[in-house]
Amino acid sequence: MIEWITSTDHKKIGTTYIVATVGFFVLAGISAMLIRAQLAVPENTFLGPHLYNQIFTLHGTAMIFFVIAPFGIGLANFLIPLQIGAPDMAFPRLNAIGVWLFVLGGLTVFAGLASYGGAAAAGWTAYAPLSEIAQGTGAGQDMWLVGLLMASVSTILTAINFLVTVFLMRAPGMTMFRIPIFTWEMLATSVLILMAFPSLAAVFAMLLIDRHLGGHFFDAPYGGNPILYQHLFWFFGHPEVYVMILPYFGIVTEIVATFSRKPVFGYVGLVIAAFAIAGLSLGVWAHHMFTTGAVSNPFFSAVSFLIAVPTGVKFVNWIGTMWKGSIELSTPMLFAIGFMLNFLIGGITGVMVASPPLDYDAHDSYFIVQHFHYTLGGGSMFALFAALFFWFPKIFGICLDERLGKWCFAFTFVGFNVTFVPMAFMGLEGMARRVYTYPPVEHLALLNGIASAGTVVLAIGVVLFFVNVLVSAAKRVPAPANPWGGYSLEWIASSPPPEFNFESIPQIRSRRPAWDA
Amino acid sequence: MKTFVVLFGSSAAFGAAIAVTYFFVAHQEAAGTALLGIMTAALAFTAGYAVVAERDADLEGDDPNARRDEASGEIVGVFTTSSAYPIVIALIALCTLLGLLFVPLLGGVSLLALVYVLWRMGAESART
Repeated sequence: MIEWITSTDHKKIGTTYIVATVGFFVLAGISAMLIRAQLAVPENTFLGPHLYNQIFTLHGTAMIFFVIAPFGIGLANFLIPLQIGAPDMAFPRLNAIGVWLFVLGGLTVFAGLASYGGAAAAGWTAYAPLSEIAQGTGAGQDMWLVGLLMASVSTILTAINFLVTVFLMRAPGMTMFRIPIFTWEMLATSVLILMAFPSLAAVFAMLLIDRHLGGHFFDAPYGGNPILYQHLFWFFGHPEVYVMILPYFGIVTEIVATFSRKPVFGYVGLVIAAFAIAGLSLGVWAHHMFTTGAVSNPFFSAVSFLIAVPTGVKFVNWIGTMWKGSIELSTPMLFAIGFMLNFLIGGITGVMVASPPLDYDAHDSYFIVQHFHYTLGGGSMFALFAALFFWFPKIFGICLDERLGKWCFAFTFVGFNVTFVPMAFMGLEGMARRVYTYPPVEHLALLNGIASAGTVVLAIGVVLFFVNVLVSAAKRVPAPANPWGGYSLEWIASSPPPEFNFESIPQIRSRRPAWDA
Repeated sequence: MKTFVVLFGSSAAFGAAIAVTYFFVAHQEAAGTALLGIMTAALAFTAGYAVVAERDADLEGDDPNARRDEASGEIVGVFTTSSAYPIVIALIALCTLLGLLFVPLLGGVSLLALVYVLWRMGAESART
């Protein structure tokens, strides 16, 4: 135990990230179940308004800050040195500081539940002035801010580490245009983090000053400006969406190429598309603020539409990679295909709400809840499972059960869609988000009932994953170095890889070193 | 390093274009213009720093035909396998932040401890 927590080996740090994110995912999943239990029937009093606010705040916070974004970072921690042929990350101690700041930050946020006044209850956006009411929100809101400040510093430190490692520590012959797409996507993600996360750290520090030191940054009666909070928050918040999706684009690319038995189609196009998405995502923050009337809607609408172009390029590349390939529908590939189908729905509904007239109608309704769950749940979460199934043998040295894996996919795919399709219709019928109950009007009772039933199916799928891990751990079928026939360098190393990764320094001559070997 | 400079340089140029466009289209809105301006300056500084500091960098990873023996021995560097400082630093950082909010004395003491432990880790890093 002591050896593990003091380790600076990137593989142990990456594994710690992954295990911690899976733990936070369980907590976020339980909170999601509680939310759906509360909303299963109209005028329900199961949770009550204040507890409901805490639960949905914790759910959103955990999924965004402690599950989806850091899972990509954790996987990158494990994979990047292996994929570029480096013995470790450039700054191993900094890497270890990052993971422990992240873990302690997450625990601090959840520990707020035990504080007086309960956990934070102002939503994952913590909009001022709601989040500034110190007495109403209690210590939980402060613990939330402390936890997220720690997590944001952790993310910035890790992004610096990724950039230095990729640019300076590649193996002989591993030129930039030979590194795997996942590493490229993490490079784009790292640049995005360095540009966006300081804004988050700044706005949360300002909020703490307002709450504890008598500041009035966002306090309109004293000359402050609550819209400034939204600007600073969303300058981080929208790039954060891409911090939560770019790594998963990389994961899907690796998996699609491996299980199509073909090289990646349009490698350079995928790299350019990743950086185009990253760049454009820094200029769209105020499409979350269309309805404030305080931003330039035409500007933000136009740039938001533009992002669909490089995203579409990625779909073309994935389809091109699969085209005439020898496709094997193993569990990781099924999840990757599930990602594509779900993310497409999320993307198209995103294009819809990039139009201000439509957004005025859909804003703060369940249509938006459906939209972002299709991008981050149906998209990123499916790719997260794809990654877990794909790299589990490499990380832990044992194979997962394929039959249970396919059942896991079936339940999660059906459960996810049964849960979130009705939410689009709830939104169109005018159901507002962030409300703890609703009247029995229109079809809201039926639609909410279906959504809550879907959550149960989805939960069974997630439980099947854990059953699979336990069963596989009991069987302990040892994983070979390259169980899937992958092409990138990590598949040359043993499963799990040894300390410092390779017996000798690898020498690279193509984009597919494992197929060259 | 050429790719690094191209990447950050082109990102800075893109940031500048977006900032100028935003300034005029959004009727001189201050918050967004400042954010985009700072972002562009940070990207340009990073590209400029790479040009100055790493202009003589000769990396085996940039040579498509580099041989294994060109990157052996001391070139690879020395990597520590363990250190107790990272988790201690994270714990003290947590105590500092919570202390400053709820128990200022604890926050102050933790802040001093944080500076000391960071200094000790720097010394350890210089040794290994």
